[in-house]
Amino acid sequence: MNTVDEILDYAIDQEQQAADFYEDVAQRAETAGMKKILLDFSEEEKRHKKILQTVKTGEHELTPEQEILDLKISDYLVEVEVSDNISYQDALIVAMKRERAAYELYSDMAAKIPESHLKEVLTGLAKEEAKHKLFFEAEYDEHVLTDN
Amino acid sequence: MTLSTDNILTGHSAALDFAQPEPLDLTSGKYVKLWQGPQHPGITGNMSLELILEGDTIVDCKTHVGYLHRGFEKLMERRTFIQNFTVVCRIAVPEPTFNEYLYSHAVETISGIEIPERAIWLRTMNLELMRLASFLMWIGGMSGAFGQYTVPNWTIAYRDFVLDLFEEMTGARIYHMYIVPGGVRAGLPDGFRKRARDIMDGAEKMLDQVERVMFNNVVFKARSKGLGIITADMIDPYGIVGPNARACGFKRDLRKDEPYLAYDQLDFDVITGSDSDAYDRAYLRLQETRQCINLIRQCLDHTPTDGPFQADMPNVLHWKVPAGETYVKAECTRGEYGYYMVTDGSEFVRRVHVRGPSYTHAIAVMERLAVGNNIADIAGLMVSLHNYPPEVER
Amino acid sequence: MSLKDLLSPFFVWQRAFEKPYTTIRPTLDRPGAPAYRGFHINIAETCVGCGSCHEICQNQAIDMVAVDEFVGRDGDSGLRPRFDYGRCCWCGLCVDICTAASLRMSNEYSWIADNPNEFHFTAGVDETPWQDNELGYRRAEGYHLYPPKRIEMELLPAEESVKSFDEVTLGYDIEQAKKEADRCVECGICVATCPAHMDVPDYIHSIRDGDYEKGLKLMYRTNPFPGTCGRICTRKCESVCPVGILGEPVAIRWLKRFIVDQVDKKDYKRILDEQIENSDFKVAIIGAGPGGLSAAYYLRQQGHAVTVFEEHESGGGMLRYGVPSYRLPDAELDKDIDHIISIGVDVKYNTRIGKDIQFETLLEDYDAVFMSTGLSVPSSMRIHGEDHARVLSGLQVLADVASGRDPGIGKKVAVIGGGNVAMDAARVSRRFGADVTILYRRRISEMPADEEEIHESQEEGCTLIQKAIPVEILDADSPEQVAIKWGEAEMVDDPKGGRPRPVLREDRMHTETYDCIISAIGQSSNLDYLSKELQEQMAVEWGKFTPVEYQHTTLDKVFVGGDFANRTADAISAIEDGHHAARGINRFLNPDLYINAEQQHDI
Ligand SMILES: Cc1cc2nc3c(=O)[nH]c(=O)nc-3n(C[C@H](O)[C@H](O)[C@H](O)COP(=O)(O)OP(=O)(O)OC[C@H]3O[C@@H](n4cnc5c(N)ncnc54)[C@H](O)[C@@H]3O)c2cc1C
Ligand code: SF4
Ligand code: SF4
Repeated sequence: MNTVDEILDYAIDQEQQAADFYEDVAQRAETAGMKKILLDFSEEEKRHKKILQTVKTGEHELTPEQEILDLKISDYLVEVEVSDNISYQDALIVAMKRERAAYELYSDMAAKIPESHLKEVLTGLAKEEAKHKLFFEAEYDEHVLTDN
Repeated sequence: MTLSTDNILTGHSAALDFAQPEPLDLTSGKYVKLWQGPQHPGITGNMSLELILEGDTIVDCKTHVGYLHRGFEKLMERRTFIQNFTVVCRIAVPEPTFNEYLYSHAVETISGIEIPERAIWLRTMNLELMRLASFLMWIGGMSGAFGQYTVPNWTIAYRDFVLDLFEEMTGARIYHMYIVPGGVRAGLPDGFRKRARDIMDGAEKMLDQVERVMFNNVVFKARSKGLGIITADMIDPYGIVGPNARACGFKRDLRKDEPYLAYDQLDFDVITGSDSDAYDRAYLRLQETRQCINLIRQCLDHTPTDGPFQADMPNVLHWKVPAGETYVKAECTRGEYGYYMVTDGSEFVRRVHVRGPSYTHAIAVMERLAVGNNIADIAGLMVSLHNYPPEVER
Repeated sequence: MSLKDLLSPFFVWQRAFEKPYTTIRPTLDRPGAPAYRGFHINIAETCVGCGSCHEICQNQAIDMVAVDEFVGRDGDSGLRPRFDYGRCCWCGLCVDICTAASLRMSNEYSWIADNPNEFHFTAGVDETPWQDNELGYRRAEGYHLYPPKRIEMELLPAEESVKSFDEVTLGYDIEQAKKEADRCVECGICVATCPAHMDVPDYIHSIRDGDYEKGLKLMYRTNPFPGTCGRICTRKCESVCPVGILGEPVAIRWLKRFIVDQVDKKDYKRILDEQIENSDFKVAIIGAGPGGLSAAYYLRQQGHAVTVFEEHESGGGMLRYGVPSYRLPDAELDKDIDHIISIGVDVKYNTRIGKDIQFETLLEDYDAVFMSTGLSVPSSMRIHGEDHARVLSGLQVLADVASGRDPGIGKKVAVIGGGNVAMDAARVSRRFGADVTILYRRRISEMPADEEEIHESQEEGCTLIQKAIPVEILDADSPEQVAIKWGEAEMVDDPKGGRPRPVLREDRMHTETYDCIISAIGQSSNLDYLSKELQEQMAVEWGKFTPVEYQHTTLDKVFVGGDFANRTADAISAIEDGHHAARGINRFLNPDLYINAEQQHDI
């Protein structure tokens, strides 16, 4: 993966995989409510994918400079297992952790290469993932950590 | 008729004859019966005099009331204690404040509510402003009753300036509804003291002019001197109070005799006259008007600028005043004004009796003084007693 | 006659050369004084429709009329004052009493219209030229027509309260209660907000009248737990009490308690005197918490045979095993429960549905089933090391204490959480002599616990650390102890809006060792007595029900209520759910009766 296009293709593919993952878990989910939430997650990933596709065609630009709020919630939570009767709390943990992993992947890659357009794209992608992580962490902060 | 006041204070008066006179033979052709009022301007509206004349001279006078018939006392029995304070001001239109004060004071007395210092001063100032406004109107009325229409323009204009002060202080010109059970409704607005002092200065000057034009006026003197003399022996049997009594030498003023509110902290002397004819009574009132300006100035100096102006009150929406009974009184422009109140522990007052000075002055005293006078002087005589009909028909 | 007297009248001419006293155009452009009592202005947005203005107006110049825009708002009657200027005397009493200070007067005093109906208007809703007028009469600062401050409830001094489980609040005496009851303006807005729609103004009125028996009867019409709620209710009513807008709300909760305190338990039967005619129906109730017992009380009143199944040896649910006795003494809870049972409710204690009896059996044997089994499973923090033996749950600690067992917390305790359970666990720990630190992620102002609880826990010596985020549980040197690593949080504004979010500062971490850590960050339900199929049929989501009309589930005979079926998760909501379900079950059992009644009603 050396060119910008290659990187973007990879990222787009990752988003699609995530969307598929949630759809798959949703199929198996026991309750209608959980199903709906997981399908919403999947939709969210598809939205991310669309954004990256527009980046690739040049209609949209990544913004590597922007500051994204990091709530650092997922960083300290335990890994949870994906099961058929997964709770809302755990589903959010899974989602946060996936976004966090993606974020780390892109920022590590960016860190390893010298200043270049590619580096900018990677940083931009990392920021994009940080945004997604914030979305799930905010949800967790709001709905799970109520009494805490 | 010379009688010592000592004798009168015992209440016995051998010299006064209360026997009903022989009925007049109205068919004899000697007499004319004339109704003066209620639409006659000299009769302060709302009441009338049934006069029997022999030539120009009055031989009999009966006072008639019944034109108002508002039944204030009865109305109060169906209103809550807070609601009544908006009703009582209507009992004496030119002097609502005395009613507000006495009503509130009666309720406070029975409930054991003590009003704060600032409210005491604000009430005192309010009452003295009221006295001033009322006297200014009265001077105009008196002058007008003797056919002089310039003075009323001056005094009524100044009364309006005082009403401006009321408007600022209380939010209304006539029915102030400022003194409420528990205290007053607000402190003084910004700049009020300065404006009030300016108006007092102007009023004082204007009164000098009034004295010159009205009291030194040969016509006024000629018509009012010797008119409707109240003799010392009449005072107690008739229950005559206020300037009508003071003009006859009786040094009686509740503000001095049984000081209430802040009157014991104010510097003033009770003014008296000697003859109590229409002129004397008018002149006494002119002097009291000046004194009133002086009292208002003292109040402006002494009224505290901060601190509470209302006592801790229960929720007025369901305020039950403990069962009790009281008579409270105050010196209004016309003398002792009293409220007798009985409560039964409910949310409503059981009975209120309002005792205003007009009750005797306008009926018994007027009926007696009228006899023997010229029909042309009746209006002036009536005004010289200073009456407010709603107070009779409360 | 002197010459002077003859000449002085001519002095009037002097005035002809002076400034006239009168103004040239007297009325047209003379504004009223700044505090003139002119035409009314109401800020309809601020007005809550309490009707006090209507109540005080001696001229009946005010009618309260519904204004669509405000109908259905919480803490708002939806009504607004409509003025009749054919009656008003501009006394301004309405302004003085206005609880929201929304009503005032302009200094405008002339209004010309050719249609007299215009003088009958809803201030602030119907357009008037003076609505934005800044001047005019307002109630003066420091002037009140009802006492703005509440009568303080006496508390045990903190030094004493931490030493025992004696009740902390001491209750009102008669004089205090009457004074507090006097502050009520009887608007009834609280009735709408109270989940159980208790008849607050009327029972408060009964205190003013000294008729506590009447007060008790009124309370039992909507709530068979008045002694309990009079102590621990979340008092949503007080949050909307209009007296609280400018002052402090009426102490509705303490007044409720006062009535119960005035009536001896042995007189309940005589006073309440429930007349019960037995029906042919049998209803089963699962859970003897407030939800279950409230349903039992009202169902029994309808004559149905009611059996309550309860896994514990006593009733009350979380009120007994959660709420500590210094807030709600057992005797007071029992006063409520015993009366419910006394009207013929059968409670089978030590009977767990799903174990001792199957849910399906109940479905077969009874005509209807009501479930209110609450939230009994403590939530997990999902941080590393959480399964350490010295990490206890708040619920467990409280249950141990309530059952007379030693909770084994040690002498130095950290409590995690900011809700009522956390406060209770902390204060209970103090009573066991422990040194208590409460860790909460956000700021104190955002804690979900009752303000009074927060205050009292601090009075009693609990240390409250706000903006503290636990990140890991660690082993301590001794197995009897446990360490926690937590980091300070910084409150950062969320660019998307909403309240600021706590963000961990990794450069400011602390590690501290405790004898135990009590986690109290929430709880969820245990529905293991319901098969997956049944749960799915009843559309259970994350252990919670969303009942339809009258607390009915989507299953024919089954009704639910209480913590696992409402959002508020407090006692009064559970009580109302029980009452509402009782109505629903009654309709379900007697459909004809109700259909007829409804039809008759329509005619
Ligand atoms: C520590 C704490 C403090 C609180 N403080 C307050 C407060 O100050 N004010 C307030 O209003 N609310 C407070 N609450 C909340 C209040 O206690 C609950 O909202 C209320 O008790 C809920 O009633 P419920 O009927 O839904 O359930 P619960 O009270 O939980 O009752 C459920 C009952 O069902 C029984 N049960 C469960 N499963 C089964 C089964 N399978 N078979 C048989 N029986 C079963 C349980 O043993 C229990 O008795 C507090 C709660 C806690 C935990
Ligand atoms: S001002 Fe007085 S009369 Fe007019 S509506 Fe208000 S309370 Fe009634
Ligand atoms: S008193 Fe005030 S808040 Fe209450 S209805 Fe009247 S205007 Fe609205």
